[in-house]
Amino acid sequence: MAQHRRRDVLKSGGVAAAAVMVPFAGTEQAAAAPDAPQAAQPRAVADLTLSVNGTRHRLPGVEARVTLLDALREQAGLTGTKKGCDRGECGACTVLVDGRRVKSCLTLAVMQEGRSITTIEGLARNEELHPVQEAFVRRDALQCGICTPGQIMSAVACIEEGHTGSEDEIREWMSGNLCRCSCYPNIVDAVADAAKVMRR
Amino acid sequence: MSTDVVGRPLSRVEARLKVTGGAEYTSDIQLPRLAHAFMAMSTVSRGRITRIDTQAAEAVRGVVAVYTHETMPRLKQPTYRPFFKPYIPIQSPDVHHAGQPIAFVVAQTLEQAQRAAELIEVDYEETGEPQGELDMGEAFLPPDGPDGPNTYKRGDVAAGMAQADVRIKAEYTIPMHHHNPIEPHATTAVWEGSKVTVYETTQGLGNTQHVVSEALQVPLGDVRVVCRHLGGGFGSKGPVWPHTVLTCAAARALGRPVKLVLSRAHMYTSSGHRAQTHQTIELGAHRDGRITALDHVITQQITRDDVVLFNSSEPIRMLYDIPNLSNEQRAVRLDLPTQSFMRSPEACTSHAQEAALDELAHALAMDPVELRKRNWSSRNMDNGQEWGSNHLRECYDRAASMFGWSRRDPRPGSMRDGDELVGWGMATSAHTAGGRPGSGARITIGTDGKVLVQVGTQDIGTGTYTIMTQIAGEVLGMPLSAITFDLGDSAFPQSYTSGASTTAPGVGSAVKRVCTAARRAVIDLAVAQPGSPLRGVPADRVDTADGHLYDTANRRSRVSYRSVVGHGGKPLDFTVEPTPTPLGYSVGAVFVEVRVDPLLGRVRVTRVVGCYDPGTVLNRKTARSQVLGGVIWGIGFTLFEHTLVDPATARIVNPNLSGYLMPVNADVPDIQVQFIDRPDPASDALGARGFGETPMTGVTAAIANAVFHATGKRVRDLPITQDKLL
Repeated sequence: MAQHRRRDVLKSGGVAAAAVMVPFAGTEQAAAAPDAPQAAQPRAVADLTLSVNGTRHRLPGVEARVTLLDALREQAGLTGTKKGCDRGECGACTVLVDGRRVKSCLTLAVMQEGRSITTIEGLARNEELHPVQEAFVRRDALQCGICTPGQIMSAVACIEEGHTGSEDEIREWMSGNLCRCSCYPNIVDAVADAAKVMRR
Repeated sequence: MSTDVVGRPLSRVEARLKVTGGAEYTSDIQLPRLAHAFMAMSTVSRGRITRIDTQAAEAVRGVVAVYTHETMPRLKQPTYRPFFKPYIPIQSPDVHHAGQPIAFVVAQTLEQAQRAAELIEVDYEETGEPQGELDMGEAFLPPDGPDGPNTYKRGDVAAGMAQADVRIKAEYTIPMHHHNPIEPHATTAVWEGSKVTVYETTQGLGNTQHVVSEALQVPLGDVRVVCRHLGGGFGSKGPVWPHTVLTCAAARALGRPVKLVLSRAHMYTSSGHRAQTHQTIELGAHRDGRITALDHVITQQITRDDVVLFNSSEPIRMLYDIPNLSNEQRAVRLDLPTQSFMRSPEACTSHAQEAALDELAHALAMDPVELRKRNWSSRNMDNGQEWGSNHLRECYDRAASMFGWSRRDPRPGSMRDGDELVGWGMATSAHTAGGRPGSGARITIGTDGKVLVQVGTQDIGTGTYTIMTQIAGEVLGMPLSAITFDLGDSAFPQSYTSGASTTAPGVGSAVKRVCTAARRAVIDLAVAQPGSPLRGVPADRVDTADGHLYDTANRRSRVSYRSVVGHGGKPLDFTVEPTPTPLGYSVGAVFVEVRVDPLLGRVRVTRVVGCYDPGTVLNRKTARSQVLGGVIWGIGFTLFEHTLVDPATARIVNPNLSGYLMPVNADVPDIQVQFIDRPDPASDALGARGFGETPMTGVTAAIANAVFHATGKRVRDLPITQDKLL
């Protein structure tokens, strides 16, 4: 990975054209110690426009190494999406990208331009909760609440995918989202409830 | 006083915020000029830094500062517990364990700080061979600590063993565990002049306040700590850890807000863990099952620099009516980070005791439920005092009946379903609750009739916001929609750490007391107020319900809180001071079914039934969720969880969530929960005891006992992994 230039990596992801890559005009290259490992130095920033919850967010000067998760939280100000492990193990950062569930810590922000991103902030319609949100409240499918946005986004996709045929199937397809408070049985109940509402 | 608010399965009052992404956790807080910090950690376990080169790190674009032990502002070693470490890192070249902070980087963005931390170059001189493995030959009896004596005796163990018809002796080992809340520890420090606001992931606002005050030499009143929502703690966020004071120091030195969020890997060496333990237990009993003697030694890891050791032997000392008993808590020094308390600290000794009781029941050819009933005690056997209430025997009966225990064939390996071996096991759940300093509380009833109750406590996911709202509604006789319960700010009346199952009884008592005082004052006002329908009615004849005061002798004579306080013309304010929370004991009985694949050794928990006595159930929904959490933690403890240490280097090799296995949804069986739900007369919180830590206990041994019943194999070394059953 360190041998690749990031530009190449981005191209192979097929989205480099969407982002305007510019070399750092700043001080890093000039000031970096000559023996610093150059291959690992970030080389570019991009002015991005991300479509999140139907709103276009202009994010100027996003470094190529910034994950979608950190761009959402630190730059778009959408902190409903949570960081639990930053390496795809816990699922707290789950969002929908073009309707698919994606762990936003495992994808770069610059790869998501032109796609439709949905986060936890985008589910409710004004005052009306999404059926999954409503079911999580009623079934007490949350305790501390930190994994809850990821669980809910995953549940929305799980239902859309049609993986709610039985409690065992829900358990299996919701197992990518850890809940350390361990509300799992209540999460299964909430997903089953919401699936019924959403199929009506 | 209303009678139907407490106990209702009310949905969490903050749930809407949590399902919409609107609940603001510590690391969500956005501030102008906020700088991001990241720490570099030591790679050796025992040594000293001889050279640290920050030149490349400082050259990274956006880096604001790189602090090492040579440049970090000096901090005073805190004496306030729970600050457990006997040193603050990045103050000297000494390295006490791998994964100790050795540099603190601050940059404009998180990515810049992380990158710069990677570029710091360090040379170490190693000062000894690291010890990462529990060597029982090095066990010693440490001096008694703040948590009580490490030795305990009653009666005459040798004589008791001599009287016994049957004796068993066994060794149990449990590895190191990590709390792993999904929310990493985070601190954001903001200075305004000489005052600091610390947004902190904490289970104890006061702990952070005291330690920051001491370490940074700031008056206590100039430190404000805020934590409105906590993304899980499980004990790890009860103590104060060095990264908090380091962040405050960097923010002060730089004159701008600094935010530090630990990485998942950092959390394995920065915020405590459940110590690895080794236990020996010997039991003697008469043929009729009455236990004559118990001899127990628990040995746990501590560090080379400190003796942080908690008394977790309460189940041994307190639970059963055993006349002759010896208990000793020993320690072995390792080159690992400081241990701390983790959800249900008594689970370790409970596991050994409840597994040994199953071995004894087998040796006696006696039903394990019957054996426990014959040794039941209504007293705290540690000090001989009667518990306020203890309905454990009823828990055994109800859970056994729900489970269908009478259909169990006691012979190991006797119950099969197709190719699978089926095992049924049971154990007692028991955990102390409370027995800690209590809580203050403040109430304001506005002229609009709205109520605000404030306590400097925390909601760690247990439901504090909700149950305290319910207690206030119950005591005041007020609809819950008129009540706001606020927490998470050290500016509110002081409260104890959210831990040791002390929040429900401690904060609950404070809310009850302050609401009782306010209600009485409103009644006194109403019976004296000119024009009031209650004017002249004796105050003790007035009751409250649905936001109104009424004459119990003439129910049509009523007036609203809003009207009384409104006519008074100014809000009513009351504050109560903390009173200590009595020590309670919340108990239960848990029954487990496992299925074991005999060819693969794979264990699945397929059914759990528990019945519990927590005193009054304040909210059936959140109390049930506490049980689900505890039971599932018990499954992880027994079958999966294990922090692996490389014995040669004393480094943790699985500091992540893929190598450290915790239960996922697919691991979780059907769990049935019942409560006795009878008030404990010794409680000052409407009969409620603390309860959060009880349900994890018992499950662990019940699973191990069920595995024995299924397979005939006693696996005494946790976790029970497949290799141990083949």
